[in-house]
This record gives sequence, C-alpha cells and structure tokens, in this order.
Amino acid sequence: MISTKLGNKQIKTLKIIGKKIGVALFWLLLWAMAAWWVDSSLVLPSPIDTLKGIATLAGDAEFFVSIGVTLLRVFGGVFISVALGIFLGLIGGLNAPFYEFMNPFVSIIKSLPVVSVIILINLWIASGIVPLVVTFLICFPVTWTNVVQGVHATDEKLLQMAKVYNVAKMRIVKDIYIPSVKPYAVSALMNAIGLGWKVTVTAEVLANALPSVGMNLYYSKIYLDTDLLFSWTFVIVMCSYIIEKVTLFMIERNKRKGADQCQLS
Amino acid sequence: MSIIIKNLRKAYGDQIIFDDFSLILEKNKITGILGPSGSGKTTLLNLCSGLDQPDGGTIEGINLSSISYIFQEPRLLPWRTIRENLRFVFKDQAVKRNGAHDQEIDAMLKLVGLETVGDYYPQELSGGMRQRVAIARAFLYPSELLLMDEPFSSLDLALKNKLMGDFLNIWEKDKRTVIFVSHNQDEINRLSHEILTFSDKPVRILRRETI
Repeated sequence: MISTKLGNKQIKTLKIIGKKIGVALFWLLLWAMAAWWVDSSLVLPSPIDTLKGIATLAGDAEFFVSIGVTLLRVFGGVFISVALGIFLGLIGGLNAPFYEFMNPFVSIIKSLPVVSVIILINLWIASGIVPLVVTFLICFPVTWTNVVQGVHATDEKLLQMAKVYNVAKMRIVKDIYIPSVKPYAVSALMNAIGLGWKVTVTAEVLANALPSVGMNLYYSKIYLDTDLLFSWTFVIVMCSYIIEKVTLFMIERNKRKGADQCQLS
Repeated sequence: MSIIIKNLRKAYGDQIIFDDFSLILEKNKITGILGPSGSGKTTLLNLCSGLDQPDGGTIEGINLSSISYIFQEPRLLPWRTIRENLRFVFKDQAVKRNGAHDQEIDAMLKLVGLETVGDYYPQELSGGMRQRVAIARAFLYPSELLLMDEPFSSLDLALKNKLMGDFLNIWEKDKRTVIFVSHNQDEINRLSHEILTFSDKPVRILRRETI
C-alpha cells in the first residue's frame, strides 16, 4: 500500500500534483477536441501540431537567439524600472515636495495607452531598444506607486520609538522604512515581471525589433503559419511561468525569518 | 535641576487637554501619575518627549536627546533580532562614548534575564519577554529621563509583579528621573516615590502625595 510507505505530507503533495496534472489534461483535451472539430491547422492547430512546431523551432539556433535577446529586454526593462522605482519611491514616500514633483509624470505615464507609448518611443530611438524603454515606462509607475504606499504604511509607532531614541535618519531608513517597504517591492517586482513580458513582446512587434520573439510571432502571422504562432505563444507562456517561479523561489530563499513574520502581520 | 512645566496648554480640536497647567517634578525620583483613561497622561509624556508640541507654555529641564520611553506596547522591530533591536537604539550612542556596545547589550540582557534569547526575533518571545526587552532598551539608552506609559497594563498579575520587581532592581542600579503613568493604583503605589492624581480633561492635579 502506498499509504504505508509515504507520509501524510507526501500523499498530500502527490494529490495536489495529481490535481494540477488532471486540470492541465482536461484543458489540453478540450483544445485537442476543438482542433479536431475545426479540422484546420490554419485556424486552430492541435496540441500535437504545436509541439511539433516547438521541436522544429528548437532545431534552429535563431530560436534561442530570439528568446535570449527578448529575455534580456524583459530583464533589462524590469530591473531598471524596479531598481529606480524602489529608489525614487523611497524618496517620494519620505519627501512630500519630491512626491509632488514626480506624481504628475507618473500619473501621465500610467494613463498613456501602451500602443501610443510604443509608437511614440519608436519615433525617437532605435527599434531594438524600444521594448526595453517601453517596459521601463510601463513597469516603473507600478513599482513607484507600490513603494510610496509602503513608505506611507510604515508603522508610525516604530518611527516614534526611533525618534525618541534619537536614531540617525539613515538608520531609520535602513532598519525601518526599507524592511517595511519590502513586501510592497516584492509585489511590485512580481507585477513588473508579468507586465514586462507582455509589454516587451508587444513592443517588439510594433517596433519591428530584431532579433526577437515578438517579430517571430509577427512573421508566423503574416506567413499564415498558425502552428508556429501557437508554438511561439507557448514558449512565451512557459518562459514567463518559469521566470515567475524562479523569482518567487529566490525571494522565498532570501527571506529572513523576521521579514516573514512581518509580512504575515 | 527639576523638570518644570509652566502654564502648559494643549488641545486637540475642541478637546482641551491642558489649560494653564503647571507642575514641578523632582530629578532622580519615580513620579507616578494616576488618572482615568483619556485624561491626558499619555499626552503629557508625548509633550515631554517631543513627540507632540504644546500649544502654549513651556517644559524646562528636559534634554530631548536624552530620553528613554517604555511605551504601552514593546515597539520592537519585527525583522530584527532582540540583540539587533537593542543595537538599533544604542549603537550611535555607544560609538560616541567607547564603541563597546555589544558587551553592554549582553550585560543588559543578562540583567533582565534574557541572555539566552538575544538572537531570537520578537515574534518568538512571549508578551512579557518582549516588554522586558523594551525595559532593557530604555535602560541601555543613556538617558536622564525615563517615560513609562502603562508598560505593565497588558500583562497578567504574576508577570506584572515579576517585571515591576525587575524594573525596581535595575532602577536601583541606575537611578534616573522617571515619569510613570498608569490607571492602576497598585502599580503606581509599588513603583512611585511621589504620586499625582489627575482629574479628567482639562487636567488638574486632584491629589499629590509623597510615599
């Protein structure tokens, strides 16, 4: 009997994995049935056609170059936006005049349609850099807003304690504000990664950035190669999923005990 | 020099807390202030500590950079260990003097019976232990004035008695000026050299007795 060999925790984990596989198989089956019913790989390729497409793509070195360059753009845009968002957000949260100075800029960027930003930026700079800049412009306001919120939500009682005990301002920032802002910054990072992929690939298509995953998607569309269109889409979803999971894993690993407690409270 | 409060005025909106209030507090003694909840006891401590500003009048004889404060709750940084929490308030002061802050922190932890939990996080300690850390922090910080705002109110009787004993032991070794507010007569009687009873708002001193 399995139950005699495995502990309760392992059985629970196996059940969860089994459930997830079951759900995935259900949707795959639904997709396969829809493809069989449509009966045209030009309109809706089957999961097998899509897998074959991925195998074909993987045989070409350009596939990996495209993914690598797109990944660089995503990481570059997300890294710059999160780093600057945290730094400027901390200053904005602590300094009201700086917040008033920055807020109109952030509000305008937030309300701009992504397509307008891409087209405008493409007028001014080289196509290859457009996705990176656009990713920054879309992800920066998310981080900035989250971090400013985090600063404003810092426990007033801890700040009063630090004031009474005459703690230096830099130590208050390092030991109170930054740990308080951490959960907000992590949430901003996860949002930025999710947004970053979508924005980068969209910008690659609209800016004709080469080499790129976005342009491969576009070529699949204009050559009516729907199998490859699905394959590229699948690759994007998988890349986004893996990056999100790896980031979460790294955050969990680096979390300190006390920070865990703080986030729970 | 004593702490001299002269013609103090403080109001929050329409609520007048202090109106032409005057008081002299002796140095190196524990002054207990009794009064009903919301009568202005905490406001007085916040005015003395500089956390709040008076609308009028003066408070003399307090060096604002030399105050310790034991709040109603311990106010420890949840993401720092107990030792790091003490270092947080003490490091700058210790470096100014001799730099030997870690030895002093260990000695203080021993004094409050927490020498084995220096590397624990506040969440891993009981409420009483956390409050002892707050007392340790207040005494570790080189202050002339110690403010205490009902620091024992949330504790059970046995723990309260133990902590008040610990407090008196430490104070005997390091006699500072203490203003201790509470609405609990027993706590005030046990710790104070002088007891002031506040009226409801606006504050008047109903009774002043020396133990």
